[in-house]
Amino acid sequence: MSDQLPLEDFEDLYETAPCGYVSISPDGRIVKANRTISQWLGFEPDELVGKALYDIISFGARIAFETHLAPLLRMQGHVHEIALDLLTSGGEKVPIFGNAAEKRGPDGRHLFTRLTLFKAVDRRTYERTLVDARGKAEAESRAYRDAALLRDRFIAVLGHDLRNPLAATAAGIRLLRRAEQLSKRGRTILDEMDGSVGRASALVNDLLDLARGSLGGGFLIERNADAPLTPALMQVVAEARSVSTESQIDARFDIEEPVYCDRGRIGQLAANLLANAVTHGTPERPIEFDASTRGESFVLSVANAGEQIPEGVVNRLFQPFFRGSGPSQNGLGLGLFIAWEIAKAHDGQLDVSSTVEETRFTFTMPARLGGSQRP
Amino acid sequence: MQAESNPVLARHSVNVRGAGDRTMMFAHGFGCDQTMWEPVARNFERDFRIVLFDYVGHGRSDLSVYSAEHYSNLQAYADDLVGIGRALELQDAVFVGHSVSAMIGALATLRSPGMFSDLVMVGPSPRYIDDEGYRGGFSREQIEELLEFLADNHLGWSAAMAPAIMGNSDRPELSARLENSFCSTDPEIARDFARVTFLSDNRSDLASVAARTLVLQCSNDIIAPVEVGEYVHATLPRSEYRLLEATGHCPNLSAPEEVTTAIRDFV
Repeated sequence: MSDQLPLEDFEDLYETAPCGYVSISPDGRIVKANRTISQWLGFEPDELVGKALYDIISFGARIAFETHLAPLLRMQGHVHEIALDLLTSGGEKVPIFGNAAEKRGPDGRHLFTRLTLFKAVDRRTYERTLVDARGKAEAESRAYRDAALLRDRFIAVLGHDLRNPLAATAAGIRLLRRAEQLSKRGRTILDEMDGSVGRASALVNDLLDLARGSLGGGFLIERNADAPLTPALMQVVAEARSVSTESQIDARFDIEEPVYCDRGRIGQLAANLLANAVTHGTPERPIEFDASTRGESFVLSVANAGEQIPEGVVNRLFQPFFRGSGPSQNGLGLGLFIAWEIAKAHDGQLDVSSTVEETRFTFTMPARLGGSQRP
Repeated sequence: MQAESNPVLARHSVNVRGAGDRTMMFAHGFGCDQTMWEPVARNFERDFRIVLFDYVGHGRSDLSVYSAEHYSNLQAYADDLVGIGRALELQDAVFVGHSVSAMIGALATLRSPGMFSDLVMVGPSPRYIDDEGYRGGFSREQIEELLEFLADNHLGWSAAMAPAIMGNSDRPELSARLENSFCSTDPEIARDFARVTFLSDNRSDLASVAARTLVLQCSNDIIAPVEVGEYVHATLPRSEYRLLEATGHCPNLSAPEEVTTAIRDFV
């Protein structure tokens, strides 16, 4: 009869199943336990009966059992997937997983609680490794954040402290120009020095803006409609023309005043976009500057001909310290980032489109107080 | 009463019901939430206005207002308790606190005298860790073991599940709750609360508690041993002591009738 299946012996299944069985009375005493669990814990099969469950689980697990698992058992009748440390007769811990369920009589009275337990040494090690790894990753990420914060504070302090010597140098240049008899060569040198101090001041201001932005203070802007915006922007265009003599800038203004904005900051945004266009545009084709109100929105766009911006780069244009692969790489790569932050602070947006024909940055914001932006 | 009408009540998932001039407030301890008190609270509904709530970070409370820094001691929880009492305009009410809530209730009576005239402390302990001349039943290493256990057992907690638990605030019945949710706490909050609870020491506060107090002590409670209950009784100026036949730390679940009788006799 070799094809007949062997019969299972239920008594033997209970005693030697590859898991531990323990039944405990409502007051926590072990009323029955199988051989498997006795062996795991180093007890004789009948030694466990009569012991308290708490005699064979670790102290931490006792507290948690009492505060979490016992109440859940009373309320739900069962608890699944619990992790406990059992204690061997020698006091060593054996990590286990298990399920527990209350056995109740026909009258609903709690008779005993059954526990089915599985050894889980490797599994527990694995889980703890995962938890440790997560903790480590979180700690590292915190450390990075702290380091970044420290760096930003350093930049803010450095930028702030650099302003004074720069201002003193600028004042010195002014005095020399006014009070001293200078040769032609001396004047040229002074002009160059003046230009350098101006550039250094602009860099320092950009750095300060960056630090303020990342320190969470955001870009401080003061919006009002107390004065017209057009003259402020004309001034910016005039300055850009004087700095970059070889580029032609075609400017068009059609602004229904007043625009509710921080004029200094919008001027800074315009200047940054113009500087970018001068750097990356071809001198043969004029830069188009257009500032106008359209309905409830104020729209400012700056376009230049030149190389198309590769698609992968477009997303990174507005990140701080990003510098494209243009011919000239002046500055810190903060201009567009700052323009972006100014746009955001005005509840506006800054978009870029780039084709082989032209690259165009378009800034749109609500023109009036409480206005919403055109979609 | 609609808890949502008041932000303090909504934050603590406060549940007010029952008929009676006097209010009886039940506070859950370390481990689970207000559901723990249902088997006892329902016995007082006819004679008392019943108040149940969850501490911030537990049960269906508003988890978004939890901060480890703020809730770094029991006083913060006691202040919340006083806030709920004020919102409900409690005067000479009965406070029933389980486990660590016994001490939170005592602190609340010190902060706001007159709010609770009677305290019922179920399994109280003013200090869990042994000290010179005092036996609390715990050593510092054992607390660490407990924290380790909590890390291994999140009891099905997941942040994604929390809104589902909280979303049911109009249906307090057990059936509407997810598996394990009565005792399922954000692991970080559970660890914080375990630290705050088991490292607390309120022995010096007990002598100033003016409210009438009933100390309900369980037989064979590994969290609050009999001698700790006796210590609390001996140190409180006006207390009665009753040793329950119930074993374990949660007689409100294992022996609700015995607890009900004891509270009824006291009030």
